Amino acid sequence: MNGPQAQARWEPMAEDRPDRPLREVTVRVVVADDHPIWREAVARDLSDAGFTVVGTAADGGSAVSHTLATRPDVLVLDLNLPGMGGAEVCAAIVDAQIPTRVLILTASAELQDVLDAVKAGATGYLLKSAGREELIEAVRETARGKAVFTPGLAGLVLGEFRRLANEPAAKDRREVPELTARETEVLKLVATGLSCRQIGAHLFISHRTVQNHVQNTLNKLQLHNRVELVRFAIARGLDAPT
Amino acid sequence: MVTALWRGLDVFRPFAWLFAVYSASVRHQGHQGYPAFAQPWLAWVVLGVLGAWTVGSVLYRTRSHSLNVVRFELVLACCAILSTRLVDTPAVILGGAKTLPGLWPAAAVVAWAVLKGWRGGMLAAFLVGLADLVEVGVATQNTINNIVILVLLGGCIGYCADLSREGHAALGEALRLRAEAGERDRLARTVHDGVLQTLSYIQRRGIDLGGQARELGEMAAEQERLLRALVSRSPDQPPAGGLQPAAGMRREVDLRLALGRYADGVVSVIPPAGPVLMAALVADELAAAVGAALDNVRCHAGADAHAWVLIEDKGRDVTVTIRDNGVGVTAGRLAEAAVSSRMGVAGSIRGRMSDLGGTVTLDSWPGAGTCVELTVSKKGPAS
Repeated sequence: MNGPQAQARWEPMAEDRPDRPLREVTVRVVVADDHPIWREAVARDLSDAGFTVVGTAADGGSAVSHTLATRPDVLVLDLNLPGMGGAEVCAAIVDAQIPTRVLILTASAELQDVLDAVKAGATGYLLKSAGREELIEAVRETARGKAVFTPGLAGLVLGEFRRLANEPAAKDRREVPELTARETEVLKLVATGLSCRQIGAHLFISHRTVQNHVQNTLNKLQLHNRVELVRFAIARGLDAPT
Repeated sequence: MVTALWRGLDVFRPFAWLFAVYSASVRHQGHQGYPAFAQPWLAWVVLGVLGAWTVGSVLYRTRSHSLNVVRFELVLACCAILSTRLVDTPAVILGGAKTLPGLWPAAAVVAWAVLKGWRGGMLAAFLVGLADLVEVGVATQNTINNIVILVLLGGCIGYCADLSREGHAALGEALRLRAEAGERDRLARTVHDGVLQTLSYIQRRGIDLGGQARELGEMAAEQERLLRALVSRSPDQPPAGGLQPAAGMRREVDLRLALGRYADGVVSVIPPAGPVLMAALVADELAAAVGAALDNVRCHAGADAHAWVLIEDKGRDVTVTIRDNGVGVTAGRLAEAAVSSRMGVAGSIRGRMSDLGGTVTLDSWPGAGTCVELTVSKKGPAS
């Protein structure tokens, strides 16, 4: 189900890839949103900030097809698209094994939808009420391969690990991903509003290490999600070659 | 249930017919203390007709549940009873011989009961009883007994059929209402999403335009936060305690809702995706302690301070972390205030938490605000 390319996406990227000066290499973006006003506004803001918007999409199906056709650096994705849900779009893009990263930009109040999309492969989450500068910075960070962890997303990821740990149905403890003590500490600090630099200063580690810890928690969750899907597929006898 | 009654009837009818044939064959040989039939050929013709009807109703089960069919069956049953007069001599009949079809007419009574309820069942039973009386000519004890049993049978089975039909209708109505509510929820989500989008957009444009438009933007931002808090309440997940007697400590609430009311422009509440259910009294006290901590932030952390409230569900326990990005206090002063309980707010938090059997930790770094961590058992001090 997963080729070597898909595997590589789960490795921590922040430390490996040096921050590129973004003025030299333009970041290519696809914007998917079913509200035309928002779609245009976001696309205009991103173009003004120097990004190249290579496509826009108004529904889930065309978000996937545009992304597969243009292979942008970042897909800015609204969760409530007609046709396909946000998690399905994320899964389709991860399955296609293209380097595009997904940043969720949503007005949705459904936290479970956000969590599902992140588990399916999105690496960032921003509310639409966030300011323009925040959005531009988030797209830039996502293009660099960094996870965009708002306090809200850190809280959701932390909550999901807690839920997995508390699940009575977890017969085999090895199957449940666990956070290290340091990862838990870092996630809690991110969830209560501290920046990577502040956390680094507090814990006497570099802010890059902090970012790595954050990225690792996301990788563990997404890997667990893939493993669960494969297990489900095998249990249903869907593993036979077609 | 009604289908099960029909199925039972389909099984009963052949057995009743076989019993009638058996009884007739015994009579045919002149046993049972009664002389042989006066008109044996007629007896076999009548039983043959009943047999054909029985086989037909088994073969065409699904089509045999209509009013015309059961009406005809009732007529057939009455005719079969009356034919006994021709088959047997009056002396034999008065002597207490069974009717020719035996138990078979009960099938017609049950069919009426299943199709038309208790009224239909009793009506059919009366008609069959009438045929019995006409057949015998006088009301013997035996005939009266049979009639009473038939009427009770028709009434009881009809009542069962009525009840099951009402239950079925109620279930259908409940399912319809649930489907309607689900559809309304789905539409509401779409509408809410649209409103949230629009409010966010007004906020964004308002800030861009500045001046009076900025005020509009801020109003939109406030409404957006309120609506988001309302929509996050996920009404389709009833609290797990909802089925238990809702008394005192037993009642459970979602802590996310209890703390969600603190969210505004200054305070961000960071919940997990699923509900955090805990005893209502504990949740109320915990929420009051969080409120006190947030009051402390407003008083001491400075005008530009922002606060984050993180909710963690740890299985048996719940931890709520309140951090602000205000000026912070030096560790020494904090410890001193905490020990002497001179800090009114800290005292209020500690008091509430020790009542609940929970713990409080305070931490502060200059420049990075103050952090208060409250941990408490979901069930309160009793557990």
